[in-house]
Amino acid sequence: MRPIAIINDFLANLRIWYRSKGTVFWSIAFPILLMLIFGAIYQGQGDITVSLYVQDLDGSEISEQFIHSLGDQLQLEDIPADVDGDEYISENNIRAALIIPEDFGEAIYRFQQGSNESISLSLSLDPTRESINGIIRGVVAGTLHGWNNEITGSRDVLTFQEKSVAAEEFKFIDFFMPAVVGITVMTSTIYGTIFRNTKYRKWGILRKLSTTPFTRWEYLISKMLFMTFISFVSTFLIILVGVVVWDISVSIDPYLFIIVLSAAFAFSGMGMIISRFVKEEETADSAAGAITFPQMFLAGTFFPLEVMPSYLSSFARVLPLYYVNEGLRDSMIYQDSSGALFNTAVIFTIAAVLFVIGALVTKWTE
Amino acid sequence: MNRDIIEVQDLIKKYDDLIAVKGISFKVKSGEVFSMVGPNGAGKTTTVEICEGIRKPTSGTIHLFGKEFSKRSKAIRERIGVLPQEFRSFERLTVKETLKYYSSLYKNKRDIDEIISLMDLEDKKDELYMNLSGGLKQRVGVGMALVNDPELIFLDEPTTGLDPRARRGVWSAIMSLKEEGKTIFLTTHYMEEAEYLADRVAIVHQGRIVGQGSLRELISDHGGHYSVVMHGYDTSKIDILGEEASVDSKNNVSLPVHDPKDISHILSKVMQNGVKFESIEVKRANLEEVFMNLTGTTIEEGDAA
Repeated sequence: MRPIAIINDFLANLRIWYRSKGTVFWSIAFPILLMLIFGAIYQGQGDITVSLYVQDLDGSEISEQFIHSLGDQLQLEDIPADVDGDEYISENNIRAALIIPEDFGEAIYRFQQGSNESISLSLSLDPTRESINGIIRGVVAGTLHGWNNEITGSRDVLTFQEKSVAAEEFKFIDFFMPAVVGITVMTSTIYGTIFRNTKYRKWGILRKLSTTPFTRWEYLISKMLFMTFISFVSTFLIILVGVVVWDISVSIDPYLFIIVLSAAFAFSGMGMIISRFVKEEETADSAAGAITFPQMFLAGTFFPLEVMPSYLSSFARVLPLYYVNEGLRDSMIYQDSSGALFNTAVIFTIAAVLFVIGALVTKWTE
Repeated sequence: MNRDIIEVQDLIKKYDDLIAVKGISFKVKSGEVFSMVGPNGAGKTTTVEICEGIRKPTSGTIHLFGKEFSKRSKAIRERIGVLPQEFRSFERLTVKETLKYYSSLYKNKRDIDEIISLMDLEDKKDELYMNLSGGLKQRVGVGMALVNDPELIFLDEPTTGLDPRARRGVWSAIMSLKEEGKTIFLTTHYMEEAEYLADRVAIVHQGRIVGQGSLRELISDHGGHYSVVMHGYDTSKIDILGEEASVDSKNNVSLPVHDPKDISHILSKVMQNGVKFESIEVKRANLEEVFMNLTGTTIEEGDAA
């Protein structure tokens, strides 16, 4: 055995490894990025503010004590007792609410006098925020369990019934699907643009095209047509699978088309700007990953912004994908036209700015 | 063969502190194969890319088809065909699809099947570009430069990196164009390529043209006519051959001869001095020697520089 040969081989491998920016990204930067993002999401839960709206229809001293016992772990907001709880929740886009019934205190008192009657609280939750729902459900169930132990020692006299805040009964997949459309448009356009621009430049295709009557703007328009076509095909297929396999109820309106179109332009523009600085084919992968992954995890695709520390959720609001996801949900699922209009306007503006900058920095001649 | 298709005057190109092209002037006439020869980094590609419109000159004038560079338009692009250096096309298009794609960018069109036949690609027309060998890819590249039936074709180092057989295949394709009377601007660092294909040659060294003309003119002016190479010659006795004699890397002794009649004098001198050698070879002077005489280096040394 020749240790020198082994050491030299090891050093050569090390040299090759650190000179490949893509490999370094995936083996070092990517896991660190993941650890930082998920670490911030899960480790920093003490910083997370989870809000729960409470309507106390009972207004007794006991119900106030019960609310107080919830308050240590959740940020409680009031729903006035004199309004219709369900209407108020719907009108104010409240995503987690607990309604304490009128005879809450009285029923506990009756139970202590020997009645077998149980009391059910109503917990309304937004199915799109399953990770937050878990926290709220856990706090409410834990608090009720503590009270049940206090009152009976064993029996569940206090229970809760859960319902969706949405008018219809949606499954989580209904709410997740728009985000799948968003990340698909984002990844296909960003990766496609960066890879194509980098490869075409390296292979001399851009130089070749520049010597033909084909103009740079014709090239950009044709590429955008292609990206838009692919974005709509993938959107259509995702919706089709959602409808056929998961029986999802999807609303198709003009906002959906404008958002998908704007997203294709915004992310292509982003890809063009990035590819201006990517010199090697090998770096294209890591550059595209560096742009798409943080957006994927931070823009409310898999986790609602509320589960993130405030600095991360503030950061998410500057990411184009956030407005794509929110706009698509408002358009396709909630049928919230004011929300859809706002998010469409934001992503349209972002698309115009990014695409114009991207087009201007994409050069194929000196 | 008289009309100037390209006319370049005092071309200078600077990249920050580096001056890549230092005042180059030349003309390319209609129907000729004009080759710019020189080592890597000599300024050939910069020059050809300026003529193609890919790069902007720092100063100097370029006329294509009698029109000034700055006034180039789509109309001029319709009349030129280009194979860029180290070119690779779309990997997942077939040969025929690739040619059709590039053809679609032009108003003027040449029949694709005719180009396939001219480039000897009939057997490969339905093959994906990515599955072709290096030589075939370059032939497709040359074919792509023909889709608009151009009057002027730029081929930037079309055979670099190819094995000798593949190189011959590309040469044959270029010869077909030459026979069609196309004007071709070829850059290369292979001397034998320029010798084989070019009507006129410009030798470029460190951003300047150090010599240009037909092969015969260059050899006559700068190369000497012949050289005598003696294998197995006792190199300790090289002095008897005079100052022009040199020893190559294989220990062969070489001597330029300006008149074939001098060969017999050299041989008698060697015999009279009792120097023995294994064999003798008489070579015509070539561009390699012209390059050496003009630049003081071989083209390989020029590459390294």
